[in-house]
Amino acid sequence: MKKIEAIVQPFKLEEVKEALKNIGIDGMTISEVRGHGRQKGHKEVYRGQEYNVDLLPKVKFELVVLESRLDEVLDTIATAARSGRIGDGKIFVFDVIEAIRIRNGDRGDAAV
Amino acid sequence: MKAGVGQVSDLLSPGPGIQLTEQQIKDAFFQTRSAANALDRRTEFVDQLVRERWAWMPKGISLVAVGGYGRRELFPYSDIDLLILTPDEKTQNAIKDPLSMFLRDLWDKGLRISQSVHTPADCNQIDATNAELAVSLLDRRFLAGDESLFRQIKDPRAELGRNIAELTKERHNRFQNTIYHLEPNVKDAPGGLRDLQVLRWFARLGAADGQMTPVFPDEIEVLFEIRCFLHYLAGRDDNKFSFERQDEIATLMGAVSPEDLMRRYYLAVRGISRLANRRLESFEAKRSSLFSQFRDRTSRLSNSDFSIVHGEVYFRSSTAIQTDPKVVLRLFEFLAHHDLPLATAAEERVQQGLEVFGTWIESHQPVWPAFRSILRQPHGPKALRAMHDCGALQTIFPELHEMDALVIRDFYHRYTVDEHTLVAIQTVLALRSKPGDMFADLAAESDDLDLLATALLFHDVGKGSPDEGHVEVSRRIAESALKRVGIDERDWGMVSFLIGSHLEMSAMMNGRDLSDPVTHREMASKTGTVERLKLLTLLTYGDISAVNPSAMTPWRKQLLWKLYSQTYTELTRELTARIHQPDIAANPALVQFLEGLPPRYLRTHSEEEIGKHLRMEREGGHRGVQVSLRKSAAWILTVVAGDRPYLFSATAAALSSFGFNILKAEAFSNARGTVIDTFSFADPARNLDLNPGEKDDVVRTVTRAIRGEITIDNLLRRRPKIKPDPHAIAASRVNVDNQASAAATLIEMTAQDRPGLLYDVSAVISKRCANIEVVLVTTEARKAIDVFYVTKIGAKLKDEEAKDLADAILAVIKPAS
Repeated sequence: MKKIEAIVQPFKLEEVKEALKNIGIDGMTISEVRGHGRQKGHKEVYRGQEYNVDLLPKVKFELVVLESRLDEVLDTIATAARSGRIGDGKIFVFDVIEAIRIRNGDRGDAAV
Repeated sequence: MKAGVGQVSDLLSPGPGIQLTEQQIKDAFFQTRSAANALDRRTEFVDQLVRERWAWMPKGISLVAVGGYGRRELFPYSDIDLLILTPDEKTQNAIKDPLSMFLRDLWDKGLRISQSVHTPADCNQIDATNAELAVSLLDRRFLAGDESLFRQIKDPRAELGRNIAELTKERHNRFQNTIYHLEPNVKDAPGGLRDLQVLRWFARLGAADGQMTPVFPDEIEVLFEIRCFLHYLAGRDDNKFSFERQDEIATLMGAVSPEDLMRRYYLAVRGISRLANRRLESFEAKRSSLFSQFRDRTSRLSNSDFSIVHGEVYFRSSTAIQTDPKVVLRLFEFLAHHDLPLATAAEERVQQGLEVFGTWIESHQPVWPAFRSILRQPHGPKALRAMHDCGALQTIFPELHEMDALVIRDFYHRYTVDEHTLVAIQTVLALRSKPGDMFADLAAESDDLDLLATALLFHDVGKGSPDEGHVEVSRRIAESALKRVGIDERDWGMVSFLIGSHLEMSAMMNGRDLSDPVTHREMASKTGTVERLKLLTLLTYGDISAVNPSAMTPWRKQLLWKLYSQTYTELTRELTARIHQPDIAANPALVQFLEGLPPRYLRTHSEEEIGKHLRMEREGGHRGVQVSLRKSAAWILTVVAGDRPYLFSATAAALSSFGFNILKAEAFSNARGTVIDTFSFADPARNLDLNPGEKDDVVRTVTRAIRGEITIDNLLRRRPKIKPDPHAIAASRVNVDNQASAAATLIEMTAQDRPGLLYDVSAVISKRCANIEVVLVTTEARKAIDVFYVTKIGAKLKDEEAKDLADAILAVIKPAS
């Protein structure tokens, strides 16, 4: 089991969700987050004055998948989230030690 | 109070006879849907059972029904509240055994008894520890035994009201003080049956001023029926109106849909909740002496129409509406101005007078100016809510009935459509008093918030329509409603734009790359002017905020702000782009006149205004000066003249010599050198209102100043002395931007506003032989934000020239120390 955390542009939310649904991934957690990557935010000009915008709004997807499907899911997210510009985001993959379905106590792959 | 004998009794099987009767009551209810009948029959039946069993009890004690049972409102699975009265505590020990037999017997029959044992002395002593007992005694009813004991219970004193108020506030807090829950509890949620009871209790205690026992026959019928169904469907005392139950009960009650049923529910609880909150407020107010001091001061605001008693507004004459129906409009303007609540009696007067008011409106259109002026008052949104609550708003706009308690049943929409609408309006207008919020400045500097509120009022009115896409439906409904009340073309243009585009910004926020210039350009072309962009941004802000209390996250705010600020930059960049192919090709004179004016000119002026400018140009001739002055929300002075040095600053100087405060100014010029300047200004001393002749004097002085017949020095001697403002908060700042526009240098300045400021700045620019192409002047609170588009000999300024100019401007705008 692997946990995927993908930070993507807010306007890519629906596209990524839809792409995951199309390959049969329904379970995921989505949150509104703010942060910055290498570009450390940027400057915006409003009424002739510059403002530093250091934390940019992004969307975070979290999902746990079986190892056998990992590459397919990563490809799907990356393709759907790509606009080719700075700020498209990042995907992180973690090992998952255990998963438990609270309702019935299922463990491991069966709980994913 | 509930010293339960034991929940174990639940496990015991009820007696067969009881089961039969309960079943009969249930069947009858499902057939007739008469909750009142079911409650009555169950009460009778329980009375009979309890009295029968009481026969074996010792003499000298008394059995009393309290709570819901006491008032004969026994729902199918409600607890049966019994009070056993003993003359003293000693007797309580003596009757222990027979009492537990009595109770066990009833439990065995399947009745859920909740009992307490007290002496009359206990009952007559109210303190914080036994408030619930005292409250339940308000509904006491003698059942059996020694009636003289029962008669020893005194009626609780008015102080009990305080306990009720506290318990009610606690309960409302548990439900976040709103009736709007997706799955409400019909008993305990605000506006539910418990609140109805609170109103009855208050009436009985006389705890709040002159109140009658509230009668809510229709509301009671709906809520009783729903609660009976809830009990029967769950088979227990379950009052949660869940989605599942909404579906089931909608079918059972013959409602068109669950949404339709919920609409009936919200309409019912709304009336109860409003009255309950009022009673609580007036009860609290009575207790607070500080408040009453303030309140008594407000009585000085009384006028010939209204009097203010204990901080609430009453009509002076009981037949006010009948003799002069327009008083209704004055009433809400009065509330909107002074932020005072309407007394219940006055609210009832309005409700009774709605028919007269409605007939009057039909023959006295347009009411738009009066309606608009209510919205323009500082507490407009509150007055709007009061108008909605008593039905006056729907009398002016019957179209709004479409959204009365209309339910949007999904997990995001917390409120009914009408509530969503009122919350949205309130949220946006409240921004004005929220300095620090990035959207607050937008609200503070917009003139047309009343139009924004009007657009919000109608933006979702088409939601109830079965037609696809509510936006266009809402816009059409608004058009017929607002044109009927006489909205003018310019205002309708803005309102129509706002309703028609109300989903555009949120769609872009969620679906488009906000860093992509294509997105800003598209938004810029959809909005067209900075004014429209600002209002649409505010509308979107209100619309999202009013979906549910936590919908407007800082995250969403940031997205909306980014879309706004990028589009703003895009729009201001466009200011110096010239009109190339005006569509108004039919009129060659007009085409020539428009040649060289920026697109903004077309977008910010109606055809009528442009026609007027053209006429003024023609009448003035090539070197002529034409000046006109009219009053709208502020005074507006228009100058159409051949371009000449110091034109703008001479006008500014002339206006400030009268002590006027310039709020907004725009300067445009066309290719053949005609300048069209518009100044909107405030007249704090009301000279123009009070002296009709003064208008001509202003026009004459401005004309002579432009022609150079009066020197500016002479004018400035007349100007009121400027005292440095000790509370000056706005830092003075000048910023030069040589990149933003292709044709001109942009100079943006922020300074503490004062009379004459615009003259001082424009004179500095003119002195340096620079030409002012376009000026946008706005004032927010006491801060002036001016943008000058400046050229010199038809081109941008050189960088060092621009910097010199900025320094020179900074020197004149710094507050004198």
